[in-house]
Amino acid sequence: MSSHREAPAISQDPVADNTDTYAFVSPDDPGTVTIISNYLPLEAPFGGPNFFEFGDDVLYEIHIDNNGDGKPDITYEFRFATEVRDPGTFLYNTGPIASISSANWNRRQFYSVTRVTGAKRELLASHLACPPCNIGPASTPKYADLAAEAVHSIGAGHTVFAGQRLDGFYVDLGSIFDLGDLRPFQKLHIASMADAHGVNATHEFGVHSIALKVPKPALTANGSTPTNPSLAGSVIGVWTAASRRRSVIREAGTGLNQETGPWVQISRLGNPLFNEVIVPIGEKDRWNALPAAQDGQYLKYVQHPELAGLLPVLYPGVFPNLAALSAARADLVAVLLTGIPSGIVPGFQNYTGTVYADQLRLNMAIPPAKSPKPLGLIGGDAAGFPNGRRVFDDVVTVELRAIAGATYPLVDKTYKPDGAAALITDGLGPNDTRYLSHFPYLGTPQGGYQTTPLAAA
Amino acid sequence: MTALTRRGFVTKSAGTAAGLTAIGALGAKRADAERANTELADADSDAPAGSEPVVAYIRDPSRGEISVMTGEREVTVRDPKLAARIARAAR
Repeated sequence: MSSHREAPAISQDPVADNTDTYAFVSPDDPGTVTIISNYLPLEAPFGGPNFFEFGDDVLYEIHIDNNGDGKPDITYEFRFATEVRDPGTFLYNTGPIASISSANWNRRQFYSVTRVTGAKRELLASHLACPPCNIGPASTPKYADLAAEAVHSIGAGHTVFAGQRLDGFYVDLGSIFDLGDLRPFQKLHIASMADAHGVNATHEFGVHSIALKVPKPALTANGSTPTNPSLAGSVIGVWTAASRRRSVIREAGTGLNQETGPWVQISRLGNPLFNEVIVPIGEKDRWNALPAAQDGQYLKYVQHPELAGLLPVLYPGVFPNLAALSAARADLVAVLLTGIPSGIVPGFQNYTGTVYADQLRLNMAIPPAKSPKPLGLIGGDAAGFPNGRRVFDDVVTVELRAIAGATYPLVDKTYKPDGAAALITDGLGPNDTRYLSHFPYLGTPQGGYQTTPLAAA
Repeated sequence: MTALTRRGFVTKSAGTAAGLTAIGALGAKRADAERANTELADADSDAPAGSEPVVAYIRDPSRGEISVMTGEREVTVRDPKLAARIARAAR
């Protein structure tokens, strides 16, 4: 998946598992940028009695690089604290939760937001309420209204939300991890079967989202609002991360831990699928622990992605030109590690320089699209992925096509992509009902009572 | 490192000696060790220890380096005799 359970170690630690990162100019508030960082992959909505929540012992961070050195110039830190009203009951709620201050809600979570720039630490807000999880009509009636109470305006024009959302990422996991047997093309696969429609594995699953809306001047190096897409200062690099304390002592016989020492990064995410598909399994845990600025050591995996070699094997005779392409994939390096320089795509750039770093690169001077296209830049919509990433962007199809060679002519006009490179997909697209047109943009999570286990669409 | 004293560190280290080897996957950095050598002087002062727990970690006793953590801080102290003493206590 994008980055759900993408590495062996973090797959054992869901509250710190960074599943998706989004960064886009807010369509209904274009003077701002919205950044969303998701955790807790594949939340089954009925997963009580201890419903999902952020880790009180995890440091969540949103990083912004605004000078192209691959290092964070601005970091937003999020720390959570759980409060239990009545430890004498096993219940998450003792009656309907009609508001986020309801006395019926037993196990609540609050958080603080701190903005860090260099040595300066600014506490923007504290004791902000998360919403409860969506349990069902008896416990969480009018859930959308309830969750809306947890959208907070905080200092310096920032707006924030942290809590459960419907996972906006869509992907046919069942087919992709069954030896890449993409249902719309499985007649051409080595395990040939009749073609079929894609199945969205995340259909009813939730995630926990940290969504932050920031005025553009608070993100640029010079405090201005970018208006010229051709300027380097219009582009920011965004990635997110989770860290735990360096030492944990388990206090025997108490059920308590003593956590001590500095924070140590254990998960990070810029571009969807980078660690999942590009980085080999033996290096994924280490990749999660490294700063983005050290991604140069993974350059070879971007230049020669394993999946590009597998496609011609899995689909015999379908990708002959890709099979013959042995040159380093400069197109993928640009998309994933440096941004796309000027002169490659007319009127567009999101280049941050020569430092290789997995970041979502957002040119903030490009306004939101009036008619957004889920295929983003390769679909002719410069406001979408890989110019940042919107919640509905079809990143699976975009990256499948890019790896299949569809974007290689951007750097070598003599290369002719295989016909399938422009068609390959897992057979899914965005479902508008999964999203909101306003902050926090990811849709209302499915209720536990309303969920049919393992029903996919 | 004003919250730590050498005496307090040794006392707490003895109590947590069994725990030291339980954190066996963690590493120490040479830069931290160099920085810590200057802070060791502070640790040797008679200032009282704080009430926060202190964790000491010796990744490789033969190197003589001890990572000391409290709160969100970590310093690495180079003290081969102390490292060897703690390692012996854990056996």
